[in-house]
Amino acid sequence: MLTYLARRLAGTIPVLLAVSIFVFGFVHALPGDPARLEAGPEASPADIEAIRHDMGLDGPIWTQYLRWAGNTAQFKLGRSSKTRQPVAEVIGERFFPTLWLTIVSMIWATVLGVGIGVLSGVGRGRWQDKTGMVFAISGVSFPGFWLGLLLIDLFSVRLGWLPTGGYGSWQNFVMPSFTLGLSVAAVMARFTRSAFVEIMAEDYVRTARMKGVPERLVAWKHTLRNALIPVITLTGLQFGFLLGGAVVIETVFSWPGLGRLLIDSVSFRDYPVIQAEIMLFSVEFVLINLAVDVLYAVANPEIRLK
Amino acid sequence: MLRRKLFLRTTLLLSVALPLAVSAAHSAYAAGDVVVALDNNVIGLDPADLNDNLSMTATRTMLQGLYGFDKDMKLIPVLAESTDASPDALSYVVHLRKGVVFHDGAPFNALAVKTSFERAMNPENHLKRAALYDPIKTIEVVNDNTVEITLKYPFGAFINNLAHQAYAISSPKAIAEYGKDLGRHPSGTGPYKFVSWATDTLKVGKNEHYWKPGLPGVDSITIRSTPENGARLAMLQAGEAQYIYPMPPELVKVIERDPKVDVVAAHSIYARFVALNVMRKPFNDVRVRQALNYAVDKNAFLKVVFGGYGVVLDAPLPANLSGYSKQPTGYPYDPAKAKALLAEAGYPNGFEAPLWGGNSTISQRGMQFLQQQFAAVGVKVSVEPLEAGVAAAKVWNVKAPEDATTLMYYTGWSASTGDADWGLRPLFYSKAFPPNLFNVAYYANPVTDAAIEAGLTTADPVKRTEDYKTAQAQIWKDVPWVFLVSDDNLSAKSKQLSGIYVLPDGQMLMEEAALK
Repeated sequence: MLTYLARRLAGTIPVLLAVSIFVFGFVHALPGDPARLEAGPEASPADIEAIRHDMGLDGPIWTQYLRWAGNTAQFKLGRSSKTRQPVAEVIGERFFPTLWLTIVSMIWATVLGVGIGVLSGVGRGRWQDKTGMVFAISGVSFPGFWLGLLLIDLFSVRLGWLPTGGYGSWQNFVMPSFTLGLSVAAVMARFTRSAFVEIMAEDYVRTARMKGVPERLVAWKHTLRNALIPVITLTGLQFGFLLGGAVVIETVFSWPGLGRLLIDSVSFRDYPVIQAEIMLFSVEFVLINLAVDVLYAVANPEIRLK
Repeated sequence: MLRRKLFLRTTLLLSVALPLAVSAAHSAYAAGDVVVALDNNVIGLDPADLNDNLSMTATRTMLQGLYGFDKDMKLIPVLAESTDASPDALSYVVHLRKGVVFHDGAPFNALAVKTSFERAMNPENHLKRAALYDPIKTIEVVNDNTVEITLKYPFGAFINNLAHQAYAISSPKAIAEYGKDLGRHPSGTGPYKFVSWATDTLKVGKNEHYWKPGLPGVDSITIRSTPENGARLAMLQAGEAQYIYPMPPELVKVIERDPKVDVVAAHSIYARFVALNVMRKPFNDVRVRQALNYAVDKNAFLKVVFGGYGVVLDAPLPANLSGYSKQPTGYPYDPAKAKALLAEAGYPNGFEAPLWGGNSTISQRGMQFLQQQFAAVGVKVSVEPLEAGVAAAKVWNVKAPEDATTLMYYTGWSASTGDADWGLRPLFYSKAFPPNLFNVAYYANPVTDAAIEAGLTTADPVKRTEDYKTAQAQIWKDVPWVFLVSDDNLSAKSKQLSGIYVLPDGQMLMEEAALK
């Protein structure tokens, strides 16, 4: 197991290297001059040149890359060209709000989504299935910003129960995580239901029923465990996506997350922050993939990690 | 079976009831704490290294200059008591206010002024506002309460520069202690002291030793970044914020009848315009430029784009900028005349051209309205919103006028020094073509140039007004722009709050904030 993990982790190095070249090339290919943007409309050409030199953007592109890649490998991320704050700090203060929001949303969305999915699968065609799927379809169809603003209007403006936005206490989590998790829960429910229905038709399920295993055990033990494989894949993917920040939710609820940071950094051509953020997302995805593979083996011992 | 059903019901019920079951313990701000919700993040707190209004607003709560502006953007002495300017506009002797201390305890005196200015202008520090310090040759300490500033060249608007927030004075102690990180540890002489700044929230607290007696009237001010228009408004309605800016014009109807809040429309010094590249066909013909001015119903433009809040431009400078001179004849809405002028210029069937501008919703709305107005006289423009970085590359970073691809550029300008010079020189001076400054119309006229230069070489306000009058008359005649409007700065506030003002340049004053 440990050697497997070590090998998999070593295998991520070439992936990250390729990603780094791609990210660097992509960021530098963006039209627009970061030195010019930083200096603002009223600066003189001499000011701009000085700033460009300061930002390390004045050599040939490949030396710029080598310098950046070398520094990044040593976790020297430099300073944001927008706020002059260390990049690690800029990203750090937004990483945790994004991480906690992702975790809270994923937990309730997974529990609820899988629960509804199983119940719909078991009671296929009956009222619980129909109710569950109405939930699923509405969940994916509600636009996040619209739902978010409706929630704010109801719970903050009219009732005064919850803060409109911001980050701090647990109350701040309620509306953003509900809005963010709703579509995840809906997708989960649909996914679980179809996986469940498929497994229910398998021979061993029929065998179990013939043996007289109670229906409840058939559903929760024989079927669910096998239906979990695609659900784990989906959970991993969703988790990775949410860790990249949710621009709409962050904007509506003034949540200090990574999604808005990325958008702001791109429009400001804040190269150090954009590059570090995308590298972070890549690392996250690589790690999540690894975790998903490990979980496969836990869910289904037939899958061996080699 | 029963248990399963029960489980399902509980789950469904929970998912609905969860948000309802939450107790109401927020908005626990103590009396005397004011929350101001703004649309973006504070970028930094070193005024010499900033060029965005929002961060400048934040620094204004803590750091002050020798001069400043009152709420109508009239120049007032702040840390200076008076100034003697030499007639040649080369030397300025500033008498300083006595008995003022910085937040960190350092005394405010002539040496502090010298230290702060020299840090800001030192090219090695690479500060974004160094260019504003360009006129200064030397700063001499005459005595503890007097400094003499000598300029490299005559600069009549120098006192306005002193009033610019980039000239706000930082404590010499903080400069020595924090160096490059001064922007995260601001220490000035202002009404509020720095408390904390993290993830979208800046908090400043009352300066107990403020030199203006009786101020400030509140314990703290918190500036919160709330980018979404609806959410910002909700903060005000829910009582989480007492002041929000900007207030989106399309949402005014939503809160007009709310008894707890007021919408505040304050005049601005913004000029909105379409710069026409006068070096390029067809805009090299003055009749075409006049025609486009007659083609736009500017009152309708104001209504559609800015909800009617503002005034139509009747001079190259907006009415609230010092040195403004109203032009006797305007360019009223007259599509027939526009068509006639186009025909006279050899374009009886109009022409096609790209119209560039910013990519915000409000900017695109403006461009679409113009597109429709121009189309009515046969001029087909394509609306091309540019993302900020792309605009920087295509519009500002043009090496020579011949390389310019800008034909029509819809944009705005607010003279950050509050003076006519900065409302004219960056936009109409022949040495202000990109990449130097912002003359994207590539307009050049010797009469205008001479007047702009003359206005700079004297400190005599009467003579300067005369020079800027000449410049404005010439520009109005040459029409390098489609002159549009000067829109108001719209904000909204709780009725309990007073004393927070949006200045005409879009920055804010919070010194007099008070809660009922």
